[in-house]
Amino acid sequence: MSLTQDTFAFVADVVRRRSAIQLEAGKEYLVESRLLPIARDAGHPGVDAYIRDVRAARRESDLAEIVEALTTNETSWFRDNTPFSALRTHIVPGLRADRPVLDGVRVWSAACSTGQEPYSIAMTLTDVLGPGARFDITATDLSDQVLAQARSGRYSQLEVNRGLPAPMMVRWFQRNGHDWQIADELRRAITFTKHNLLDPPPGGPFDIVFLRNVLIYFDLDTKRSILGRVHRVLKPGGYLVLGAAETTIGVDGDWERVPVERGSVYRPVQAGALPSPRPASGALTGATPAVPAAAGPAAPAPFGSRAPATSTSWPPTARPATTTLPTAPRRPAGPAFEQGVTR
Amino acid sequence: MRALVIDDSRTMRRIVAGALENLGFSTVQAGDGQQALDLLESGEEVDLACIDWNMPVMDGLTFVTKVRANPAWRNITLMMVTTESEHGQIVRALAAGAHEYLIKPFTTDAIRDKLDLLGLVPAEETV
Amino acid sequence: MTAAAVEQDQVFAIAEEVFAAMIDGEPGYLRPWEGEVPVPAEPLAAWVDVHGELAGRAAVATDVPTAHELTRALLGMGADEPVGPEDLQDAFGEVANVVGGNIKALLPTQGTLGLPEVASALPAAPAGALTHELRLDWRGRPLVVVVSLFQ
Repeated sequence: MSLTQDTFAFVADVVRRRSAIQLEAGKEYLVESRLLPIARDAGHPGVDAYIRDVRAARRESDLAEIVEALTTNETSWFRDNTPFSALRTHIVPGLRADRPVLDGVRVWSAACSTGQEPYSIAMTLTDVLGPGARFDITATDLSDQVLAQARSGRYSQLEVNRGLPAPMMVRWFQRNGHDWQIADELRRAITFTKHNLLDPPPGGPFDIVFLRNVLIYFDLDTKRSILGRVHRVLKPGGYLVLGAAETTIGVDGDWERVPVERGSVYRPVQAGALPSPRPASGALTGATPAVPAAAGPAAPAPFGSRAPATSTSWPPTARPATTTLPTAPRRPAGPAFEQGVTR
Repeated sequence: MRALVIDDSRTMRRIVAGALENLGFSTVQAGDGQQALDLLESGEEVDLACIDWNMPVMDGLTFVTKVRANPAWRNITLMMVTTESEHGQIVRALAAGAHEYLIKPFTTDAIRDKLDLLGLVPAEETV
Repeated sequence: MTAAAVEQDQVFAIAEEVFAAMIDGEPGYLRPWEGEVPVPAEPLAAWVDVHGELAGRAAVATDVPTAHELTRALLGMGADEPVGPEDLQDAFGEVANVVGGNIKALLPTQGTLGLPEVASALPAAPAGALTHELRLDWRGRPLVVVVSLFQ
C-alpha cells in the first residue's frame, strides 16, 4: 500500500505548478489517502493505476480535482479579525453617513472558499445593522466543491474551532451529529455562485466587496484588471476590503486607502475626478477626489502587519509543524486555469 | 503575558502551554481547579487561564464561577479548553463567566485564532 | 438507548479529527483497517465512562508499541526517545478522554464524563451492553475504538 515514486513525483509537480504548495518527500501517505477515494470513484483499484490513467487521458478536470483534493483545508471564521471589526466600527457607520436609512446593504465576498468569510460577514451585519435591516451577500468561488459545503452550512468541529467566537457559536450553530449546522437565517442572506475573477463580476452594484488573500496569487496586470472590474461594481462611497498582505497602492490608483485600526480599507475614487493630492485620512465622507498612487503612503501596511501564515510565510515549509496543509490558496483564475473544475 | 494552564492531564498541559509559549506567553500549570485557585490566592498574576472541564478535586466550571466571584481577578481572561462539546455545555460555561471556549481536539492554529479574538496575541507575534 | 445514537461514521470522524489535529498534525494517516485485527502481543486499553441517563464507555485499544508511538507524537518526542510509564498512562488516557468526550456529545441526553483509565484489558461491559468496534489503521498499526452503550 504505497505509491510509486513516479506517481508521487507527478502529483507533487501538478500541485506545485497549480497551487504553489510544495509536497515534499514523506507526504506520500497524504497523497495516497486523499486520492484513493477519487481513484476508486474512477474505477481504479489504487492511486498508481488512477494516475497512469490521468497521465494518459490528459484531462484538465482530473488535474483540477487532484489539486483540489490536496489543497483543501479548513479556514478561519472572522479571519484576521480586523476586517470584521472594521465592518462594525467604520464601514457600516461610513455607509450610514451617506444614507440616513441604511437598508438593503449589498456585499460581494469574492473567493469565499467554504463560506466562513460570508457567514462571518452575515453574523457581523446582523448585529450592527440591527433588527429588520435587510442585507444580501453574493459569495463566489471557482470551486464547485467548496461552494457545495458553503451552501450546506455544515461544518466539522475542527472547522468551528477556528476563530469562531463562542457567543457566536452558541447563537448561530446547532449540533448535527458530530458536525455543526449554521442557522438558516444566515444561509438565506447569502447567495453562493460559481465565479471566475477574470470574468465580469456577479451582479452588483455592491456597497462592500471583500476580496481577501486572492490578489497575491496574480501578476501585476491581472491584479490591475481585477481591481478595475471590482471598481466598476462598487457603489460610489462603497468599501473594498483586501487581505492583510494586499494593497491597491502601486497597483491601481483609483482607490483611496483609509487606515482602520490595525489595517486599511479602500474606497473607490470616482472615475474622471481630477487628481488632487491629499493624504489618506480616516474621514469617512462620500466620494473623494482622486488620489494619485504616488501620493499615498510609500509603504503599504494593510491590516496591520499581522498577516496570516498562509499569506506571509509562503511556502508552507515555513509553517509550524503542528499545522495541517496550508490553507488552499484561492485557485488562481489566470489563463492557465480558465477551465476550472469541470465535473 | 502570562497564562495559567489548568488540566489534569500533564500531556494536555504540555501541549497547551507549549502552544502558548510559542505565542510569547510565559506559563504556569495546575492539575485541577483547586490548585489553580491556590496559585491565584498566593499572588500569582495571570492574564489568561486555559481551563479543562473534567478534573478531580475541583472541575473547571466551578473554578470559572469562583474566579468570576472575586473582583480582584476580573481582568483574567478565561478560556475553557475541553472535550465537553455539547451546545448546552458551551452555553453553561459562558453563563458562568468563561470568555471563550475551545473544543478538544484543537490545532495550535485554533488556539492562536482564539487569542487573536480575545486581543491576546502578544505584540511580538503581530510583527 | 438506540444503537443508532452513535453511528460508526461519526465515531470515525471523531477519531480522524483527534489524530489529524493532535497526533499527526494533518489528516490522512488514519483509515479503516481492512480485515481482521491481529491479536496484540502486549495489549493496552484506555477508556472513559459516561454517566447519566444514558451510560456507556468509550475506549481506545491497541498494543503497547503503538501506544508508545501515540505518546511520542502527542508530546512531540523524538522517534527513539524512551517513553516513561507516567507519560504513557497520561497521554494514552488523554486520547481516550478526547475521543470519549466527543462521543458523549453524540448522545441524545446530557451525561457526565468520568476520568480516563488505562489498563492492559478493558473491563467487561455490563450484561446487555451494546458494543461497537471501529477498527482503524494508523500508519499501518491496528487500533480499535470501542463504544459500549450500557442498557
